Amino acid sequence: MLVSISILVFLIFFATPGVDPAARIAGRNADQLTLQQVRATFDLDKPIHIRYVSMMKHLFIDRDLTSYVNRGAEVWPQLTQAIPATLSLVFGAALIWLVLGLALGITAAGARKSWIDPAIGIIGIVGVSLPVYWLGEVVNLITQGRLHATLFRWVPPLGYVPFTQSPSGWFLALLFPWLTLSILYAGIYIRVIRSEIVGLMQEDYIKTERAKGAGEKRILIKHASRMSLITVVSLFGLDFGALVGGSALLTEVVFGIQGVGRLTFTALQNFDLPLIMATVMYAAFFIVIANAIVDLVYAWIDPRVRRG
Amino acid sequence: MRRSRTLVSLIALSFVLSACGSSSSDSGSGSNAGGQDGVLAPYDAAKAGGTLTLVAKGAAGTLDPHINYTLQFWQLYQATYDGLLAFRKVDGPKSFETVPDLAEALPELSDGGKTLTFTLRKGIKFSDGREVTVNDVKASYERIFKVSSPTAGGFYNGIVGADACLAKPATCKLDQGVIVDPATNKIVIKLTAADATINYKLALPHASILPADAPSKDAGTTPIPTTGPYMFASYDPNKELKMVRNPNFKEWNREAQPAGYPDEIVYQFGLTAEAQVNAVKNAQADWMYDPIPADRLSEIGTELPNQINVHTLTAMWYLPMNNNLAPFNNVKARQAVNYALDRNAMVKIFGGEQLASPACTFLPPGFPGHKDFCQYTAGASVESPATSWAAPDIEKAKQLVKESGTAGQKVGIVVSDDEVNKQMGEYIQSVLNQIGYKATLKPISGNIQFTYIQNTKNKVQISVSQWYQDFPAAMDFLYILLGCESFTPGSDSSINMAGYCNKALNKRMIDAMALGVTDQAAADKEWGDIDEAIMAEAPVAVAFTPKQIDFLGARVKNYNFSKQFYMLVSQLQVK
Amino acid sequence: MTTHEPAFDLSSESPSKIAFRTLVRDRRSWVASTMLIIVVALTLSAPLYASLISKTDPFVSTINGTVVLDGVEVQVLQQSTEGLKLGVNPIGPTWKIGPYFLGADNQGRDVAARLLYGGTNTLLIGFAAAALTLIIATLVGVIAGYSGKIIDSVISRILDVIWAFPVYLLSISLSVVLLTSGFKWGPISLEAGSLYLPIFIIGLVYVPYVARPIRGQVLALREREFVKAAIGGGAKNSTIIFREILPNVIPSVLVFIPLMVSLAMLTESALSFLSIGVQAPDASWGTIIKDGLGLLYTRPIVALAPGLFIVITAVALNLLGDAVRDALDPKARLRGAF
Repeated sequence: MLVSISILVFLIFFATPGVDPAARIAGRNADQLTLQQVRATFDLDKPIHIRYVSMMKHLFIDRDLTSYVNRGAEVWPQLTQAIPATLSLVFGAALIWLVLGLALGITAAGARKSWIDPAIGIIGIVGVSLPVYWLGEVVNLITQGRLHATLFRWVPPLGYVPFTQSPSGWFLALLFPWLTLSILYAGIYIRVIRSEIVGLMQEDYIKTERAKGAGEKRILIKHASRMSLITVVSLFGLDFGALVGGSALLTEVVFGIQGVGRLTFTALQNFDLPLIMATVMYAAFFIVIANAIVDLVYAWIDPRVRRG
Repeated sequence: MRRSRTLVSLIALSFVLSACGSSSSDSGSGSNAGGQDGVLAPYDAAKAGGTLTLVAKGAAGTLDPHINYTLQFWQLYQATYDGLLAFRKVDGPKSFETVPDLAEALPELSDGGKTLTFTLRKGIKFSDGREVTVNDVKASYERIFKVSSPTAGGFYNGIVGADACLAKPATCKLDQGVIVDPATNKIVIKLTAADATINYKLALPHASILPADAPSKDAGTTPIPTTGPYMFASYDPNKELKMVRNPNFKEWNREAQPAGYPDEIVYQFGLTAEAQVNAVKNAQADWMYDPIPADRLSEIGTELPNQINVHTLTAMWYLPMNNNLAPFNNVKARQAVNYALDRNAMVKIFGGEQLASPACTFLPPGFPGHKDFCQYTAGASVESPATSWAAPDIEKAKQLVKESGTAGQKVGIVVSDDEVNKQMGEYIQSVLNQIGYKATLKPISGNIQFTYIQNTKNKVQISVSQWYQDFPAAMDFLYILLGCESFTPGSDSSINMAGYCNKALNKRMIDAMALGVTDQAAADKEWGDIDEAIMAEAPVAVAFTPKQIDFLGARVKNYNFSKQFYMLVSQLQVK
Repeated sequence: MTTHEPAFDLSSESPSKIAFRTLVRDRRSWVASTMLIIVVALTLSAPLYASLISKTDPFVSTINGTVVLDGVEVQVLQQSTEGLKLGVNPIGPTWKIGPYFLGADNQGRDVAARLLYGGTNTLLIGFAAAALTLIIATLVGVIAGYSGKIIDSVISRILDVIWAFPVYLLSISLSVVLLTSGFKWGPISLEAGSLYLPIFIIGLVYVPYVARPIRGQVLALREREFVKAAIGGGAKNSTIIFREILPNVIPSVLVFIPLMVSLAMLTESALSFLSIGVQAPDASWGTIIKDGLGLLYTRPIVALAPGLFIVITAVALNLLGDAVRDALDPKARLRGAF
């Protein structure tokens, strides 16, 4: 699977005109001899499959693949250094959206007869309809620009502060990115959880519980919520996996967080093939793993599957 | 050279400050400026200390001074590496002049200018403690070829033995071209022909003197020991670059390499231009590298005028047109573009009349050889040019397009993907559509646009590019950009993007370079005439002469602007 | 998804009629449809707006141009006159029906007119990409679910590879590559600036998203009694597919429609925002947001307005999607399809 992906990535990028890295590596106005030297050094004049194998070898086995753009800068360290930022971003956002999703989703399911349900429904719908990059820019406009001198003086400049460097700085710098990223997913999860629970409330074994005399609220919290977790877990696994792999790209770009997503985007824009391969493989790796874990967990906790 | 991050040749920002027909006044030197014209103020130890924080969107590639060709890092090399000669590090027009740096004095010339003799200063140490020796000098010049420096063939091919080195870089030996004597500390450089610009070339970072055991390949992110007041402590192209004081530095020639004020210089990467403006405003950074976004200009120009410094540059923004591809293989089509281009509109996109002036000539105002003329403005023509640009002439442009027979053809405009270049591109697209073409815009990442437009295989018809001087010599503009030797079809390195090759004018340029060895004034006059003759064929459309803005934090003092290196980083005071 | 089989069918109405009635009764579908109709009507009126009200060509740059406002002729892009006189600002919103209702952008063009034209492109790409996705995904899903093990595993494998690419990553990669040179494959040739490119790319990357649930459904259907009976009865495969399988799959597809349009729209605007979607001088809501970024501090309306339009349209589509889903199967639980 990963091999197929890597071939796909290599194919997508190798044949594009105008991205011969030789001249760019050699620098401006490099003369022809210099260019030839550079081509030979980077194996750029060998046939495609040799270049592919060589790149894969450098990427995974030797792990010394260097960037085409930032010469000498190795690809693996760039990737590994970007991981903590993305992990911090995704973990924090995940916490927020799970809490919001569960709290509001369960409430909405339970309060179906009142106005609370449609109100939360609207929140959910708006959440999934907001373009995350637009929201981020609006947040920046307010916190960094317009109201920075007054209300949002405490907001640090855009960028990522490592936890080891300053825990409070880490927190403050990530606060708004967390909120922005989590809104989209909170919306999704509110809707999913609510609809799961509502559906479950009609299930046969819930009816049995009712017949046994259990209160509506107890059913809701004890049984339905727990059962809805099955779908939530599988969904969460996939979403989390994708995000860790770099899907938070837009949020990272907008908030200047040097995470994997941003690295991926920069690599794409620069046609930096080694870095692109590394970041995309990294992303695909996480998705494949997430899929596998989710399948396992799903099979394990879904009682219907277990039962039969 | 280009300004862009990865491909700018930092060479010279030297800009001769003479006034010209355009509004070239510098402004806003506020309370940050320091030093008098021509001489740096004496070193004030009380102001030394602190950490200078610089911000930029991204890093500029390799840290290797023999390879890096970007303005962004050449600005740092001025405070870290030294050559035999250096450009004088002062504010003002004297920053164009070369002074002895690691050499004791300017070279003695002999043999009709083909031999240069230097004496190396004694007692200068690298940051790792070793003394700089003549062997290091020879090894460094050989290294230029060993690492395939981008200018190895363009600038240093005049050294005897360079040809062999260019053919076989790995085993480069310059035994005939760079003769050193450790006993007398003398260095003799032999050239194949006298070169009026050799002093400049030896003052560039590509000719820095490095330890003889510096790696024979691109050092990349590994710092090489320095001789200047600072050394590179660490470099992560995605996060930051850190410079600290060189413990072995002692000032030997204040004009060439003055002592620095900050204890530490930290260059942070990753912030967008908007975020950089906020960082400087909020005192989280001291200076930003990237151009200020258009929507913040009036804001900071109004609120913080004392933190802004504006300086004219010897540079130009221009539109190279492919002279070998339809529709611009037709001279009338090219002249039409020149007539239709509203330089004032381009100036507005760049930030307004305080930041740029319309231009018509290939050599910028104030540059040696510059001649005032403007053939393509309303009311003027090639036969009877005006002296400066006034207004576009759309009707004439439309007529020329019709006469050329190229009306209705498709034209693709290739620009860099950043905000300003994209806006320029959109404007040009609108203009080309107006005069009768079907124009499309192709924005390409700034990192690859420059090589993309050079390669004829990409069939680029018209693009937007910039050129900042490498050193103050007319050939750096005219011959480098429009000479036949700079055009290599099918290569990513063909700086003559227009593909222009006029054999007669080419010979005139070569003759002018030779003339410059003996009579620079006459040569400059000839360059002016060559400029006019070339622009009569309109291989490109020159747009405007830009200015440089430096936006500094409130606490920063002692701002000095060298025409060659722009802001002198080591001289900023933050304590 | 379970198919719609009411336990007791007391009326003689067909399931589709019941569904339609539920839909009509649902307040959400009214609200959503109204919102959508307003948005679509506005965007379709773009040419009228441009010629009657804004009276400037929204695709021509007028950087040095002037306009008459309140009887005074003003520059469209005005030189700053304070402080160091740095910078040039486009005129701001006039809030009056006429030229530059929402102000000008960096090229001196009328923002309101471009907003309407941009909507046409965004909606067009959204609907077309969604249609492409649904057609291909239904085809692929049915074939995979119905055919034998080999074909199914090959198709599933391809779908997995495509899906392993995070959607944004794949669409960005393809766009970055295809936009520099266009796309040529046999007789199909798409120029770099063509709108077909984003439609094609977005349509393609979402195929696994729809194809997998459909495949799952077809797999389940194949085991149902009535399908087995048909196979046993000797019916041709194509007949079974068209008579038994497809009609049961169509409701799921219908539910996907508003959702996919919304997703396609959001993806298109993200791509345009990253400059790899719709190309200049064409507008889409995403490109206008990007234009607006360069004006965020002085003319925020340029970035805010298109974003609001996107939100409103996406909300309407999602509302409609919910209503359709509830109408077709109140117990609908589409695994992962949110």
